[in-house]
Amino acid sequence: MTVEELDPLIHAPARLRIVATLAALPDGDTLSFTRLQDLTGLTPGNLITHLRKLEDARYIRSEKSGNGRASLTSIRLTRQGRDALDTYTVVLRDLLGQLPATGN
Amino acid sequence: MSPRFDTFSPPPTEPDPYATAAASEMPEEELDLDPRAAAALLDQATRRAERRFELRPSWLTLTAAIVALVCYGVLWLSVRDQHPYRGPAGWALAVLYGTIAVWATLNAVVLRRATRGVGGRAARQRAIIGTAGAAVWICVYIVQGALDHAGAGTAIAYGIWPAAAPLIVVGAAAAGYEAGRARAGAAAFAVTAVVLGAVACFAGPRAVWGVIGIGLCTLLLAAAAVQLRHRRT
Repeated sequence: MTVEELDPLIHAPARLRIVATLAALPDGDTLSFTRLQDLTGLTPGNLITHLRKLEDARYIRSEKSGNGRASLTSIRLTRQGRDALDTYTVVLRDLLGQLPATGN
Repeated sequence: MSPRFDTFSPPPTEPDPYATAAASEMPEEELDLDPRAAAALLDQATRRAERRFELRPSWLTLTAAIVALVCYGVLWLSVRDQHPYRGPAGWALAVLYGTIAVWATLNAVVLRRATRGVGGRAARQRAIIGTAGAAVWICVYIVQGALDHAGAGTAIAYGIWPAAAPLIVVGAAAAGYEAGRARAGAAAFAVTAVVLGAVACFAGPRAVWGVIGIGLCTLLLAAAAVQLRHRRT
């Protein structure tokens, strides 16, 4: 097992935070863009950049509702995204098992 | 640029950041993460999100234990020396309703904060469960009225039934729900509450308030301890 086996779409600090945050919600729940930004601590521009990559890979889906003041964008983790995170976690655990103990 | 991230549309009056912000021109955050750092980050992000989405944090369960003790405790204090039994005194009911109002407000604040920006299927499911639970709760008191109307006697209509029935009925509904979701711990908690309510009926119309108050408080304290332990592991 090598680091290269970790899904590069998830294996980036910002995207890892985004996917982990969305995965904490029950399956089928959506999160508003504003709340996701608040929870991940990313700037809107940075968050959009990462969401675009995740959406292109079909790991997330975004839906826009309303217009003007009522405009709201919601994001949810897809089944594919949840499975990708599960696989990422398994690979990460295997990798950690191979690493020597740090002693701290 | 993908149309779903269209930044050229006229901005709304109060812009949705997602619709108006441009994708970052800064170099994307693609730091070389070593597995240990990735594991720590994943754990930290998951825990943080779970805490922020938590509908019933351990401190709220702890507060529920105190509320149960106060509510049942004042009712027991008001009836313990009654011979014959006449039912809870007006001052005790005022304390009960006041405490419940504060408790309901606290719950609403926690719920609102936890579910801010959250929508979708599970959110709709929570709304349905809340409505069904409220309907069941109201029915308990409709039956109380029916018992009184049918001449069941003060000890039953204003003693044993209002003390034990909410615990038995709501506990049974919760046990069924939790069992359906294969959550053994939560189902066991609900069943224990039902058993407590049923057994406490034998204490009679006066002591039933005290027995349930102490029992429910102990049960909720245990639940809060389990929640805290679960969070630490």
